[in-house]
Amino acid sequence: MLRNDLLWVEKYRPKKIEDIVGNEEAKASFVEWLKSKRKSKKAVLLYGPPGVGKTALANATAREFGFTIIEMNASDTRSEKAINAVAKPATSYVALDNFSGQSQIKGKGNILFLDEVDGIAGNEDRGGVGAIIKIVEEARTPVIMAANDPDVEKLRPLKKVCLLIRFQQIRIPLIIALLQKICLLEHVKAEFEALERIAENSRGDVRSAINDLQSLSEGTHTLTLQDTVMLSSRNKDISMNDTLRGYFTAKSIAEVSSLLSYSSIDYDDFLLSVSDNLPKRYTDPAELAAAYDFVSQADVFRGRIGTENWHLLKYFFNSLSQAAAVNPESSKPFTLITPPIRIITLFWTKGKRTMLDGICGKIGAQCHVSHGKAKHEFVPFVKELLQRQKASLLIEWFKFTPEEVDFLIKMNRF
Amino acid sequence: MLLINAGLNYNREQCLYSIKSCNNIENLMDMISGILNTDVVFLQTCTRCGKDFACGDCKYDGSCSTKNLPFSCVCPQCLRDGKNFEKYLEKF
Repeated sequence: MLRNDLLWVEKYRPKKIEDIVGNEEAKASFVEWLKSKRKSKKAVLLYGPPGVGKTALANATAREFGFTIIEMNASDTRSEKAINAVAKPATSYVALDNFSGQSQIKGKGNILFLDEVDGIAGNEDRGGVGAIIKIVEEARTPVIMAANDPDVEKLRPLKKVCLLIRFQQIRIPLIIALLQKICLLEHVKAEFEALERIAENSRGDVRSAINDLQSLSEGTHTLTLQDTVMLSSRNKDISMNDTLRGYFTAKSIAEVSSLLSYSSIDYDDFLLSVSDNLPKRYTDPAELAAAYDFVSQADVFRGRIGTENWHLLKYFFNSLSQAAAVNPESSKPFTLITPPIRIITLFWTKGKRTMLDGICGKIGAQCHVSHGKAKHEFVPFVKELLQRQKASLLIEWFKFTPEEVDFLIKMNRF
Repeated sequence: MLLINAGLNYNREQCLYSIKSCNNIENLMDMISGILNTDVVFLQTCTRCGKDFACGDCKYDGSCSTKNLPFSCVCPQCLRDGKNFEKYLEKF
């Protein structure tokens, strides 16, 4: 476990705008926009790679200028309904403190901060982008958005109403300087070359560099170049197969935690693979149930982490580690299932799903119904009609191809 | 006009161009390089000692993804020099 419970990324989270390392021009543009009372554009979109200070800037600004920050991130549903329920009230009113005249520090009202807007999903967050645009147009308070990839097609209308501010990767010397500062405050005597390697390894991501520094200097007050050897092994990208093999043969929770810390696999895929392989690992139903219980806990933490709340990562690792160590003695070699079954299934069924989509599109166009309604309410009847008799009029009317007719007749479920 | 669209500002009184937006800074540099027919390099201002230096002086030049872009960094001397570090902490 960590020396103290607080992660350094949290402990040294910038409190003021000037605490944020690098991207001086972006910070200046942002402050200028805020001070000009958003004359140019009503909202701002901060974009750039992860770990460069976009969220930190929003939070530090709120703190420094006396705003209350209302945040919605990728872990929240951001459909039209959800956005209107949260964001609309947040941007419609100004703080009562402004009018009371009694408060020493006058609150300036709310800032709406929508993090990871490029992650607004198609179905789950239906109407989300449209709702955000409407809110931006009517907002009486600042609206700040952040995205890693601003070139996502669905963000195009949003970009038109926003001032775009680009964030660059943080330069190696700046990261080294920050790490030197943390080492000084944490009484860690670090070799310059060790900090240099951490900074180079982070690829401009300050958050990742601070996490590496903390994990490497855990339980010690010195950090040498030799201690950073593990970092280069992470750069080699341990494959999913090797990580899974290590995971299922680990003898202790600590061993699993260490393995996961130094692997750069995709956590979502890993979670699915663990879930697929657990029945092979535990043959005893009670042990299997206990392991699945830990995996479900890990899944909950993964959802809460999103792409921002990395301070919860240790709980994710901890739950996964416990799933691997339900009964270390019973470990026997087995053939791993990888990649995850869900991904294989999606791959194999892509052709079928595309075919069904085409059929639903034709039914929808002719009957003036939605894609979903066509799939769930029309397709079963059309299938039934086609199975009983080759209803040529129906086929002609829907303009089904022979392949589509064949598909509908033979399909088992939809 | 092209330069202004790319993110430059022009001050008529001082007859000076300045950078208004860094969002398309790479394109801007390419355009200016094309006009002047020579490479355009921004000097970095050291956040510790305030001196200007070029990215070519830095040993991380090869691995830096933002080299030659504006504007601030830590110069090679200051990075190694512990004496300036306290001053820098005050700034940070």
